[in-house]
Amino acid sequence: MSHPTDDELADLALDETVDPGVRAHVAGCATCSESVEQLRRAARLTATPGAYAAWQAPDDAVWARVTAQIDDEDRREGSREGTGGAEQVPSTQPTSGPGRVTRLDRFTRRRAVAWAAGLVAASLVVGLLAGRTIWSPDTGGQPAQVAQVAQVPLSTLDTKQREGEATLVRAANGLDLRVVTARPLDAGNGYLEVWLINADGKRMVSVGVLQPGESGTFPVTQALIDQGYVIVDISKEQFDDKPAHSGDSLLRGQLPA
Amino acid sequence: MSGSWLGGLVHVHDDPDVEPAELAARLSGGDREALAEMYRRWSPLVHTIALRSLGTREDAEDVVQQVFVAAWRGRATLRPDRGSPVAWLVGITKHRIADVRTHRYRSHRNLQALASEAVTEPSAADESEWAERLLLVHELERMGDPRATVLRMAFLEDRTQDEIARALDMPLGTVKSHVRRGLTELRDRLKEVERVASN
Repeated sequence: MSHPTDDELADLALDETVDPGVRAHVAGCATCSESVEQLRRAARLTATPGAYAAWQAPDDAVWARVTAQIDDEDRREGSREGTGGAEQVPSTQPTSGPGRVTRLDRFTRRRAVAWAAGLVAASLVVGLLAGRTIWSPDTGGQPAQVAQVAQVPLSTLDTKQREGEATLVRAANGLDLRVVTARPLDAGNGYLEVWLINADGKRMVSVGVLQPGESGTFPVTQALIDQGYVIVDISKEQFDDKPAHSGDSLLRGQLPA
Repeated sequence: MSGSWLGGLVHVHDDPDVEPAELAARLSGGDREALAEMYRRWSPLVHTIALRSLGTREDAEDVVQQVFVAAWRGRATLRPDRGSPVAWLVGITKHRIADVRTHRYRSHRNLQALASEAVTEPSAADESEWAERLLLVHELERMGDPRATVLRMAFLEDRTQDEIARALDMPLGTVKSHVRRGLTELRDRLKEVERVASN
């Protein structure tokens, strides 16, 4: 006889009444016996008491770690192949700007406790140096007496579109971090916050709020930079009671050492 | 079961708008947004499996990170024709959990983690099947009613198909067909996990 149907095998696995011919076939057929065994296993595992799941979502920061690690690997790959193709001047067309940014809005916001080891990667510098000669927005507005300490393009995390730039300048009374974006970022119902994330991937400080479409200048200290707070990050924040990073990063870039 | 599992309760929902198979096709085509969508849907499942298997949040979150990075890297191995990519992710999860265990037992560096694992994992038999059991719980939740209810009554409450038909006021043939198809679907998920985990 030909192999029994899935329905017949399921009945056999569940000890329901089956045609004796089916039973006889399965007894002599390795494929069908295995199939019945798998069905029994599925029934048994479904029946396991105590398997009721209280689903526990990982911390929001884990997604940031995933994207950071993927980006990091892509970047290494890119530098190995010597493709400068990714380093392009952003299009001036007002296309779907912030819509391309990968977000995790639907998660409940929780504290961003630990940040990625992947974020630490020293290789982040690769490509950034090349980028800075290519993309230099609106340098005309910069007063001549200000000494530029470091500069980095800010790119989306997913598509690597260069959509802004951060510059560290030595001002009269300390250091300033200047942030400009190529076009207004979409803050949705919330607001934009600028952060300095430590290269250890674990600590971060908020340096201020950025108005969409405007550039921002934020006083920072040399001590912060010296301690490794060198990753500039613009996040989208909600008006909630949570002061920590939302995990929703729009642009990011690491200042060269 | 420890009461701490009740902390941070979240529900796993599937968005009916995007079919899982379509998601699989998009991911294998290199769509990064598909990865984000998969993370939204299934990171609680992956995380809960890892947490129960390994016992520490730090290790569990590392596993989640590795699973989704591996999913991106290995997107070419995804088989959209096998239906939902959820079983594929769970297969990868099993791999990563096994890696963490091997590493733990080899290095014995993290004595604290071993201690907490001993508390949450009393039996060796349990630990190998958390992935499958939680996947099946997840799939039952996703299945929706009346099939999910029929399967719960059949497998968890161990009621006969006659009893189920009477209790739900449903023709016996309908109950039979839900049980058969439901069980076959759950079996297919397990086969997919096995395929990926044994690679």
